[in-house]
Amino acid sequence: MAPPRVPRPRTRSFTLGNGLRVLLAPDPHSPTASVWVWYRVGSVNEHPGITGASHWVEHMLFEGSPRYPKGAMDRAVVRVGGQLNAFTDTDFTAYFSTVPREHLDVPLDIEADRMTRALITDPEVGRERTVIFSEREGNENWPEFRVEEELYQLAFREHPYRWDALGRREDIERMSAAELREYYHRFYGTRNAILVVAGGFAPAEVARQVRRRFGRLPRGGEDVTVARVEPEPRGERRAELTGPGTTPYVQVGFRAPALDDPMTPTGIVLDTILGGETRLFTSGSGWGRSGEHPSSRLYRGLVDPGLAVRASCDWRPRRYPALFTVQAQAAAGVSLDRLEAALLGLLERLAADGPSVAEVKECRTKLRRAVALAYEGASRTGFRLGYFSVLRAPELEDEIYRALFRVRPKDVRACARALFRPERRVVVRYRPTGGESVG
Amino acid sequence: MAEEYPPLRIEYLEPVDGLRLVRQSPPRSAASFAATYVGPAGWAYDPRGAEGMSRLVSQLVTSAAGPYGRVELARRLDRAGGVLSHQCAPESAEVTVWGPADAWQELLRLLALVVQRPRFDPEDVRRAHRQLLERQLRETTQPASRADREMLHRIFARGHPYRESGLGSPRSARRLTRTALRRFHAEHFTGEGGLLVLTAPADASTVRAAVRRHFEPFPSTRAPSAPDVPSAPGAPGRQTIDLPGRSQVEVRLGGRSVARSDPRYPAAFLANELLGGRPLLSRLFQRVRERGGLAYHASSDLEAMRWGGYWVAQAGTGADRWRKVLPMLERELAAVRHVAPAAAELELVRESAIGEIVLSLESTGEAHELAVDAAYHDLPEDHWVRWPERLREVRPNDVRDAARAAFSERGAVSVVAGPLAPE
Repeated sequence: MAPPRVPRPRTRSFTLGNGLRVLLAPDPHSPTASVWVWYRVGSVNEHPGITGASHWVEHMLFEGSPRYPKGAMDRAVVRVGGQLNAFTDTDFTAYFSTVPREHLDVPLDIEADRMTRALITDPEVGRERTVIFSEREGNENWPEFRVEEELYQLAFREHPYRWDALGRREDIERMSAAELREYYHRFYGTRNAILVVAGGFAPAEVARQVRRRFGRLPRGGEDVTVARVEPEPRGERRAELTGPGTTPYVQVGFRAPALDDPMTPTGIVLDTILGGETRLFTSGSGWGRSGEHPSSRLYRGLVDPGLAVRASCDWRPRRYPALFTVQAQAAAGVSLDRLEAALLGLLERLAADGPSVAEVKECRTKLRRAVALAYEGASRTGFRLGYFSVLRAPELEDEIYRALFRVRPKDVRACARALFRPERRVVVRYRPTGGESVG
Repeated sequence: MAEEYPPLRIEYLEPVDGLRLVRQSPPRSAASFAATYVGPAGWAYDPRGAEGMSRLVSQLVTSAAGPYGRVELARRLDRAGGVLSHQCAPESAEVTVWGPADAWQELLRLLALVVQRPRFDPEDVRRAHRQLLERQLRETTQPASRADREMLHRIFARGHPYRESGLGSPRSARRLTRTALRRFHAEHFTGEGGLLVLTAPADASTVRAAVRRHFEPFPSTRAPSAPDVPSAPGAPGRQTIDLPGRSQVEVRLGGRSVARSDPRYPAAFLANELLGGRPLLSRLFQRVRERGGLAYHASSDLEAMRWGGYWVAQAGTGADRWRKVLPMLERELAAVRHVAPAAAELELVRESAIGEIVLSLESTGEAHELAVDAAYHDLPEDHWVRWPERLREVRPNDVRDAARAAFSERGAVSVVAGPLAPE
């Protein structure tokens, strides 16, 4: 049976003279309109000393621009009932606002103003420093964050995937406003940006507005290609952390191919068979996963027999080779050694025998389901169109999706064999400790 | 507004076997369906000594049902393109199915099956037990959940339905046997006292017929009576819990509040929006984060439920900063209780809250939440249509007066949990 088409809305796209790529996805029935600006700039463009700069710039872009002094852009969007936010990843940063459709001009005006002219003043950078610390501290409260940060540090010695998008503590401590401004003016510009507008609007009118507001911006944004290449690992790397927590936790990472690698679609099928769902094609409401997956390999192999209370895997193909991770939280009384051995044994069996025909068929059913409602609502549409565009183009989604349905069990076995090799493995274990005092 | 946005109006249909039935039209640009069963099965109904019961039952009903073990049920859902989810609260438990509108009859059939014929297979019960024990540990060791838990323990006296988080203890978990779980399910997932809300592409008679077709007749079990709500005070004051090894300190201020049915609720809602409920605009966000640079999150919540409620003002901050943040929260609370807001500030927050209603109509899932909320509180069919008008009737003095009741100082508590630096 042929795979269904991804139900992507009809999109009009064009590129302005200054290099800004624009995608318009009108839906005459939508009561809302969503504006997304995606920059091909993320923590991968940083270097030691300024790690966390992309994330910090993300914060600063809400702190004032010529037409919107501090607080004014929040007020402008929120007063009409809109919502705005942003997030930073390794490979990109995205800013979005969703508003009742009659107020679409508000976020368009804001994005045009802050694309090249954000103020990033010294006092605001100083004040935001503790906010950024606080965000990092909130994450550090979770053992899972500490483990994953350690995992990437161990896995990457050269490549900037080594650090988390939040940045290192010591860099947050010392980075100056001047460094942030330099970083912003170097990379944030029309050539590295994609504007996506989705929802209830007349495309011709909005195309005119976009040309008027964004067309006059200077052409800018340096090449964001990262030349540094991580050498092939020559052996397993491992670490053990201790700290407060519940039960032992283990995360294993394997060097995995980049988005453009021909193995990517097979890796996505492998991810779905192991964990029950894959990030790029999830049936949940956004990027997250939608719950437990009792038919998945990890669930049957670790949760069912009482070794773990949770087990999952994660692979979101990125621009450069990153990690395919598998993680599990032990059930009470299960040791780290036993949990890790069971987890690795499960991966070895999959690499040795491959999945069954039924598992691949079931995976296809899940993937069909996942895309059916992927574009419901202006916000999700803006997210999805922008996500694939910032990595290459909206059509990338079709390309990967079609390829998923050509994957056979033997391809998955070959992929598992290539991925799950001990010498490409990084293991981080977390041993919880107790202790508290109540006053 | 109702003509422009049909999902804002809900429709109460004639009950089926005592089950209240509510229909809502999906948003015009949406292609999905959602249905939620709400039963009088929250943790306020947990038998004494068997805390954790309602959470375990609501998790297990979505595991395996009727002829389908958990793997087969998951496969059926996959084929229909649906997702089952569950939620538990003090007063009620909810089970929701969501998926493509063109499969809505099959999805409703699966919902009926899990609500009425869950299997509680022994291996599922054992697995859910293990997961519950880990969650109990997480609740006591994670600063945010620990602060929430201790705050509720101090606001409410022993025996109050809002005092617990519903997770119980390792000891109470031992009493959650398969037999006990089945009994709780039979007594609490009832027609009488239950509610079924459908956001479906079908008219009232089609919806009603589908419910009759897919749901078996509910036994004539009476709805469980609501638990006693003792008025005895809790243990006001301050508590600090040192959790060394963590990075962030969680600060909570809280107290009792009004019920959703309280006539002052619209003004209390706006008081909360102004204090810390409205993202970016609220006083707590502005004071603590934007001007103070002291925390990543600072907000407030007003939990107005059927039997009463509670308020909470909260922030997450560093070990060296919580002593500055706590008095800031206290000052902003005092201000909202004692000083009427400026007309312009109220106007800004109010129009933001009104404008945001339209954002809930982006997708079926979001619109459905509005319908469940209105139906659970037995609000008029045009509640969401008239909500803007009700908010616009609120004056600055009403906000101050409502804040005094809804953010009451009497019995207020503060809890700080995390890596506390020495004084």
